[in-house]
Amino acid sequence: MGSSLSFLLMPRVSTTTSPPANSGLGDLPESCVASVMVYLDPQEICKISMLNRAFRDASSADFVWESKLPLNYGSLIDRVFVDDDENFPTNLCKRDVYARLCRPNYFDGGTKKVWLDKGTGRVCLSISANGLAITGIDDRRYWSRIETDESRFQSVAYLQQIWWFEVDGEVDFPFPVGSYSIFYRLQVGRASRRFGKRICNSEHVHGWDKKPVQFQLSTSDKQQATTQCYLKEAGKWKYHHVGDFVVTGSTETMKVKFSMTQIDCTHTKGGLCVDSVLICPSEFTERLKRF
Amino acid sequence: MAEASSSITEKFFLTLKSSDGDEFVLEESIAIQSITIKNMVEDGCSSSVIPLSKVDTETLIKVIEYMKMHSSTSSNEEEIENFDKKFVSNSINTILNILEAANFLDINNLLELCAEAVANRIKNKTPEAVRKIFNITSDFTPEEEAEIRNETPWAFEGNLDHSLD
Repeated sequence: MGSSLSFLLMPRVSTTTSPPANSGLGDLPESCVASVMVYLDPQEICKISMLNRAFRDASSADFVWESKLPLNYGSLIDRVFVDDDENFPTNLCKRDVYARLCRPNYFDGGTKKVWLDKGTGRVCLSISANGLAITGIDDRRYWSRIETDESRFQSVAYLQQIWWFEVDGEVDFPFPVGSYSIFYRLQVGRASRRFGKRICNSEHVHGWDKKPVQFQLSTSDKQQATTQCYLKEAGKWKYHHVGDFVVTGSTETMKVKFSMTQIDCTHTKGGLCVDSVLICPSEFTERLKRF
Repeated sequence: MAEASSSITEKFFLTLKSSDGDEFVLEESIAIQSITIKNMVEDGCSSSVIPLSKVDTETLIKVIEYMKMHSSTSSNEEEIENFDKKFVSNSINTILNILEAANFLDINNLLELCAEAVANRIKNKTPEAVRKIFNITSDFTPEEEAEIRNETPWAFEGNLDHSLD
């Protein structure tokens, strides 16, 4: 495989009247091209893989993609693809493993999904409203579930009104080394469509201006964070930052608990859509703030 | 103690011969940063001249310069860092030649240094620009090219740089 490149390029070199004195990138052995690709991000690799056949071959080298995958991707696969109908296909080359992990991979009964950010190979994880412990969720007077394509999971939990507001969750996952941020994806009011136009129904919205909402997180290795904020801006999906945690050793799984509460029972609050909780690398925070 | 022993210990020298026929005498302790050369020494093939048929004189001079800098006990980290920075500012053709030589000679640090330098010149360029800069001809049919684009459409999103520098 390594020698195929110079062979493929022979015709070009021999047909030129004065062969170039210096080698071009195209004359490099495939293993050299692959070494260069280690320093490119996945999108760049796919882009230059279309330069010619030799580049295409180099771009599927396992060591190139091994460097893009999280170090502990093996335990990640073990965690996500457990006794499911859908097992992780064996004998995939590393590039296909990467591509496969970049797709949303549902686990824990479809209530959670994990994917690699295709540009960086970093792990992102999302937990649906169905995978969260919501106080009073089964009481139709308080909460209902609404199907909507604005959700990351096709359906959101909608709060009409309640005194004790509490939405908790936890996830046990082999996070790769790095720092992560947790966000609640929320919308004040509920959106619907009228004559094809998106409108916001703020009929039930009340109580959020009286006291701030508390966000908390804690991890199995005793990291903690709390923050609070007032919910405003009806009709817009927003990511509310809970806090950050750091993973230093990737061999074990990390248990992360998080909660959102407003339990001042002197007033009710309502008119809120809870979609999901997102855990993503802290560097992505800027990206999320734009929305 | 170390000083005394080094003055007594005989230094071994190797002769490296480039593809252009030029010979370079180099201390063995420096030359064995190349795993290829180290293996030859261990196999006892180094008594005479070591022919490096894949490395031309100009490239070999650069490689030796690099190995000397990186094995010298007198050069500190900052000096090495500055040297590496200047080293990768060589023309792209020179870097490509060194990259290939580093691959052949199996000098991992040098290979990584050059690979990163080449990667930095490819970043954010369109495939067409990379082709022109590096003088690469496509051997795909237009249909095959379209097929590759379809396989990974996300790789072609965003603003790409069409310039040739």
